[in-house]
Amino acid sequence: MSEAEGFAVSEPRRPGMTALAVAVGLVLADASVVVLALPQIYRDLDTSVAGVTWVLVSFNIVMACAAVPAAHLARRAGPGRAAAIGLAVFAGACLACGASSELSTLIAARCIQALGGATAVTAVLELLPATVGSERRAVSIWAIAGATGAALGPAVGGLLTELVSWQSIFLLQVPVAILAGIPILAVARHEAATGVIESELRKTGRPHVLANIALAMISAAIAAALFLLVLLLIEGWRLTPIGAAIVVSVMPLAALLGSRLEPAVPSSRARAAAGAILVAGGLGGLALLPKAEVVLTIPPQILVGIGLALVLSALTETALLGRAPQAIHGGWTISARHAGVAIGLLILTPVFTSDIATQREDAIDAATAVVLDSKVAPVEKIALAQRIEDRLAEEKGKVPTIGPAFEPLPEDPEERAAVLQLKSDLQDQLDRGATHAFSPSFGIAALLGLLALVPIGFARKLDL
Amino acid sequence: MSGERRGHALVGIAVVASLVLVGVYLAAGGASYAPAKTADPCKHRPWGNPEGLEQIAQQFTLSALNGAACQLGVSREELAQALASDEAREKFADRYDISEEEIAKAVRAGLLRAVNDAEKAGALSPLVAGPIRDTIRSVPLDEVFQLLESARSLLNSAEGFLGPAQDFLEEFLP
Repeated sequence: MSEAEGFAVSEPRRPGMTALAVAVGLVLADASVVVLALPQIYRDLDTSVAGVTWVLVSFNIVMACAAVPAAHLARRAGPGRAAAIGLAVFAGACLACGASSELSTLIAARCIQALGGATAVTAVLELLPATVGSERRAVSIWAIAGATGAALGPAVGGLLTELVSWQSIFLLQVPVAILAGIPILAVARHEAATGVIESELRKTGRPHVLANIALAMISAAIAAALFLLVLLLIEGWRLTPIGAAIVVSVMPLAALLGSRLEPAVPSSRARAAAGAILVAGGLGGLALLPKAEVVLTIPPQILVGIGLALVLSALTETALLGRAPQAIHGGWTISARHAGVAIGLLILTPVFTSDIATQREDAIDAATAVVLDSKVAPVEKIALAQRIEDRLAEEKGKVPTIGPAFEPLPEDPEERAAVLQLKSDLQDQLDRGATHAFSPSFGIAALLGLLALVPIGFARKLDL
Repeated sequence: MSGERRGHALVGIAVVASLVLVGVYLAAGGASYAPAKTADPCKHRPWGNPEGLEQIAQQFTLSALNGAACQLGVSREELAQALASDEAREKFADRYDISEEEIAKAVRAGLLRAVNDAEKAGALSPLVAGPIRDTIRSVPLDEVFQLLESARSLLNSAEGFLGPAQDFLEEFLP
């Protein structure tokens, strides 16, 4: 197939590359943009951890199911029209998400958002080759825009949640979607005026099954990395959303570094394998955190970030290059990625919610042992135990902030030292519980990353 | 370097970097960074050398908790949380399917073990230990929790309640 083959319109005004890349990045960021807002949504909408997970899961399931049919629609209706309609639906659904005051309406709006998003993203892949002049470059830009959006999503979402509100994450996407859609409208109008739909409904080639399976597995692992790390930072270690956003921005920064390695290593199989190993290694590190310290999450995040840039771009390229029509095969990659994210979240949510409950009990038992064995005077101990119990009751189901229970500190220096020691020992036990609660889930996610090596390895005999 | 070699080198670097990270975190105790395990309440814990009434009371409480928890087959910590309030005790009883009477019996057994431990440690003279044991045995089961509540209030107001008697008691206890 020639490089620009597959583009639908003969002589339209081409939408700029930036508009198309922004459209892809914006939609794919939505798979992860609410990750840091989930704890806030969880509180505001008074739901459960499992319930709030569906804000993420629903979007990913619909994206996974709708991507390929949306790609077919884009070919039949014309990519310009499909992209413009897709972005309009996406923007409308963003507005509905921002206005939601109940979990059910938010989830319904997220589903519509995913429908519009899937249509826009797959259609853009048909428009890109004509804009950038080369199929390889189009695929690369499409993959990088998607990976950048997904990686930047949590940090941007965290900043907006803390500075404005979780609703602002959705509302701010409306003008961005409109701005990205305006240049695409020109193509849509041209398609409507000429009636030319040159994506001639060619015979669709077989999708690259192994690359797409590997994409699904690695996406499950990466989603877990983002989702679990954010929950650990905010719910476990009590960081603010903005603090967590700064911490998890290490991952996209490392991904940027990883994307620079791409031209140096032409073998997509090697990049995919190295990327999967790095993602698994980073997740293994997160499963084995030796202390509840933010700085210790940085080396694993660097590995995951570099790994995701290498593996996602290598697998996407493999799944798309030389395959026509691009929109359909792009649809398959979108479908695989989002199915992976949804499956990863569905597998891991029950694991970590059960582990959180168990570890909370273990941490409270360990903390009780610390109080019982401490050198604090019995009278002070009873009063403290009562205040700590009140804190636990106030923050039911969550890791409590125990600091206020120790105020005011005793005036006697010896007693004060004993109370401060008790406070530090108690905090240590709670930190241990919160951190350990996530270890099995990070371990499973690391395993998923390693499992992606199986299709990558098998693909050696095929055409990866 | 050829493209293939660069590919192999990249995979090699990824393997080494991952193993180093996992190895360093394991060596730093990543596999055991979890809440401390609760101790077996049936295992005897030495009293050490308690000084003064306050420390003896503390050791006595811990021994009693261990004894009661051992009898019920739960941890000392769980029992301590259960005895904090009536509501907590009811939840505990539901969770382990234990009756109030069984809990009361266990608490009484725990108190007796505490007297024995105190006696063995030389913190309580046999002259005093005997009558205390008799008193504990004679407390009706339905009054055990009231007794605990009274002990807590007594401890809460210990300074005011004991007043000058504290010095006398500290001299009386070995």
